[in-house]
Amino acid sequence: MSKWYESNTSGIVVSTRIRLARNLAGVPFPGRMNDSQRTEVNKKIIDSIMNGSSALSKDLKVVDMDSISDAEALAMVERHIISPAFARNRKNRRLILSLDESISIMLGEEDHIRIQVLKGGLQLFETYEIANNIDTLLSESLTIAFDEQLGYLTECPTNLGTGLRASVMLHLPALESTGEISQLADAVSKIGLTIRGMYGEGSGSKASLYQLSNQVTLGISEKSALDNLKSITMQMIEREQVTCKNFDKISLEDSVFRSFGILKNARLLSSDEMMQYVSQIKIGVSLGIIKLKDENIPIKLMIETQPAMMALKLNSQDASERDIERAKIFREQMS
Amino acid sequence: MMCEQCGKNPATTHVHTVINGVSAQKNLCTYCAVASGYAGFQSGGLMNMLSSVFGDSLAAHPTSNEKRCNCCGATFSDIAESGKAGCSDCYREFGPQLMNSLQRMHGKTKHVGKVPQSASGEVRAAAYLQNLKDELAQAVTSEEFEKAAKLRDQIKLAEAGENHE
Repeated sequence: MSKWYESNTSGIVVSTRIRLARNLAGVPFPGRMNDSQRTEVNKKIIDSIMNGSSALSKDLKVVDMDSISDAEALAMVERHIISPAFARNRKNRRLILSLDESISIMLGEEDHIRIQVLKGGLQLFETYEIANNIDTLLSESLTIAFDEQLGYLTECPTNLGTGLRASVMLHLPALESTGEISQLADAVSKIGLTIRGMYGEGSGSKASLYQLSNQVTLGISEKSALDNLKSITMQMIEREQVTCKNFDKISLEDSVFRSFGILKNARLLSSDEMMQYVSQIKIGVSLGIIKLKDENIPIKLMIETQPAMMALKLNSQDASERDIERAKIFREQMS
Repeated sequence: MMCEQCGKNPATTHVHTVINGVSAQKNLCTYCAVASGYAGFQSGGLMNMLSSVFGDSLAAHPTSNEKRCNCCGATFSDIAESGKAGCSDCYREFGPQLMNSLQRMHGKTKHVGKVPQSASGEVRAAAYLQNLKDELAQAVTSEEFEKAAKLRDQIKLAEAGENHE
């Protein structure tokens, strides 16, 4: 089955992510739980989703995080299915994952339940609706921690209220090259949004990819938070397009074709180099400078040739072996 | 310099405010700073740093019989140090002490939005009514007057207690 990142990723908005933080009432949060409580909570949540009346469970599987390797866990981070923190601490943790990997529910991360839904392109409301339905399904059989004043109760007070973190991954090479991105980061922080690197909190930007997300969760409804994020996203898209139009056409084409040339011919390709060139290819495809058989290829390959993904594919930790294989994949797909 | 609020610990947080041209300075210990909403919840970073540098001030303040959450056993100091609540009951136990920080963090302290099925009928009815009012405001803005009229009727019914959710 194809993965969520194999469609709708060719625009400035590469993907949309919705995350809902939920907890069971009357049980300590994951940070203060003992192992037997953890086992019991995991079981309750898994039963609620997998044995519920919803047709959803057909497409879901439960992953026992204890039993997977470091490389597998890191590869999940690279595919944006789980958080880096969840990959680091996997003891007695469970993950409920859909076949296309667009739905991932982390059990025992910072909260008992972290519902995450990913979609290619800008699909804030559609993506939220899927997460919302899973949340409603859970609340049919579980008592979710909620307070009339503070809303959904979460381990970290920054998530209180709706527990909703909505984010869009934006490809902003033009705004990055003019330095305007740092001014925008300042500006959005004043209206309750934040811009981060592609792997979230604390991660730097690679391939000109940035995550724009809501920061405030208390006192603002889900709909208003999504409306705000959508409206700022639309403005960012426009700014990126206008800035891009002002670039010197011939130098832009030159840098796109040089990157294309390298990806079509390289025999060794490191992960950092790949990210840099894929970003150029992505601009080339969106401006019609180059044509690929499938315009989702840049993002698909970018995700599938990340270090842990390659280590998993080759069953080897050898970096040069990975660089050879990565170069081979790009040569085949870029021609 | 000692904390001007409790007078027991060294002041380690200095807050300078200028309101309508009048400046004022507050000198607080880390514990009182958190309780007044001037620090904490920065992913534990600031408080961890402060509590390791000025470890004795944070440790000295709470007494051995400091109030503990009945459900998870966390104290207010535990929450202030880690920036994380121990369980959902902590918010009820330590709610008043956390309110200032929540106000600073979110700008508001009253939830608006989805309500779970387990919430009381009253809470759900209030959320339903708020949702209708939001929709009405939007319908008026976008000049969808027929929709607005229908919403207005639904609001009247909801306010009269005939919740048709």
